[in-house]
Amino acid sequence: MRRLIVIASALLLLTLLGIAWQEAHRVKPVALTPTLTGKVEYCLSCHGDLAQISKSHPVQTFGCVICHGGEPLALDKNLAHSTLRGGANPSDFSVVQASCGGSNCHSGTPESYSDHIQRATTSIQATYAGAIAVMRYAYGAQSGKGALFGVNAVQDSASTSGITSLGAFDPAAETNPQLQLFGQNCLTCHLSAQPMQNGGRYDHFTGCAACHTPTQSTDLTSVNTRTATSVHELTTAISYTQCDTCHNRGNYDLRTMTFIPRTDQPTDRLHDYYQPIGQFTTCEVALDCIDCHTRTEAMGDGSLYGSKYDIQYIQCQTCHGTLTQLPQTKTLTDPNDLAFRLAGLNPVVNLQLGDTILVTSKGEPLWNTKVLPDGTYELVGKATGQVFKFKPVMGSGCQQDPNDQSSASCHKCHSVQR
Amino acid sequence: MSESKLSRRDFLKLVRTALLTASGVIGLGGLLRFLSYQSQPAAPDEFDLGLASDYAPGSRTVLPQVPALLVRSETGFTAISLVCTHLGCTVESGPDGFACPCHGSRFDAKGNVIRGPAAKPLAQLRVQATPDGRLHLFVH
Repeated sequence: MRRLIVIASALLLLTLLGIAWQEAHRVKPVALTPTLTGKVEYCLSCHGDLAQISKSHPVQTFGCVICHGGEPLALDKNLAHSTLRGGANPSDFSVVQASCGGSNCHSGTPESYSDHIQRATTSIQATYAGAIAVMRYAYGAQSGKGALFGVNAVQDSASTSGITSLGAFDPAAETNPQLQLFGQNCLTCHLSAQPMQNGGRYDHFTGCAACHTPTQSTDLTSVNTRTATSVHELTTAISYTQCDTCHNRGNYDLRTMTFIPRTDQPTDRLHDYYQPIGQFTTCEVALDCIDCHTRTEAMGDGSLYGSKYDIQYIQCQTCHGTLTQLPQTKTLTDPNDLAFRLAGLNPVVNLQLGDTILVTSKGEPLWNTKVLPDGTYELVGKATGQVFKFKPVMGSGCQQDPNDQSSASCHKCHSVQR
Repeated sequence: MSESKLSRRDFLKLVRTALLTASGVIGLGGLLRFLSYQSQPAAPDEFDLGLASDYAPGSRTVLPQVPALLVRSETGFTAISLVCTHLGCTVESGPDGFACPCHGSRFDAKGNVIRGPAAKPLAQLRVQATPDGRLHLFVH
């Protein structure tokens, strides 16, 4: 009996020691009560070393849970992560409404310039509707090139483009084997597609983070160590290298319906920017894509489209004008002008009331430009901060064809030689 | 020379006592830890700003702990909240007004909106002087 009591006492002590050891090694809780939610969360107990994601989303204001989901009070990793939205990426389009939506956040009205989710999820980059339509037309599955399907089904009852809905493209339902192959092998570069490789030059997130989370280093001479699992950053200063994760990876072989990746390994911008067959002007290679292409071209305008040519409209003349017309400009007189909002998010320029900037033919502000007193223009690179000065075509010796304002026409004289 | 020999019974008793004492100490430690736990205090509604005489006439003092801007003018003390009315970021105080570093809202020196996305002016906070010359600021 006495022996049993001793054994029981020993077991009790061991149990208590075990509990004490566990307690001593438990994560020390670090509480945060974000201004926006007013509810305590303990995510920083483990993630206190993460960099601030952007100056627009300070952790003291937003916390973590409002975007990422998860269990705010849990200290156990598995429990805390059990209800995360989108894994490490709450901006994936499958969860973006819950993560990034809200009338004061990214699913507000066009008038408040906060309809980002509606625009992005209906954009041609998200639906891939143009490629699907062209392929189905080419292989006889539909009689015209009009968009009928997207990667996912999507509705837009307020569409101004005439397309109010797209069905979900189902490759298995196609009778032509080429279209089945297309569905299996070629739907790899819409905004919901997982990257074709993890790490390296073409790694990216999905959803909003595909563009706004820089997984690419702009230093081409080093191995890219930023990956779509390690980067915690959101930016509107998007380098061309991020666009290249989809737009410059290689080409599709439409006979075999396979993707053929680039094999060259460029170490300078001139050779990296475009594939060897491409023609481009100095400004096309010196600037980043977003220096010219506007927010609606990249993210859509909220309506469904069947081709990139229906939404992409920037031309050389947008900034340079023609022989008979100067580019369109606008003097900023309203403090609530969209130009100020956009410049505020990426302050590479210090826009002031009274400044005159270039605008597109649709009236979109090219907020990183300025008309200078001598009639020339200045553009500040949104990703690089580099200042570029340029002149209008009018009054120059340019021999442009007024009726052909495509970039190909300008390339005839202004193409960069490599 | 006598040899003291511990009997088996006494040895077991000693071991049992030692084990139970150690268990008791550990258990007591756990109990004390449990009883001494203090939950995170709620954010205060009222701040003691010290003596009113510490703030020079014409001064504008940022109070990061609130956060607010305390202004001493000829007519007395006023305070403006530095919490942006858009999403709650802390606005920065400048000579002509306030700027939100998060989404670019601008407010004039009185806290009125100049530029969105904020739609409401910055909150005016109540400042009260106590009979002993101290200032108290009320957030709600």
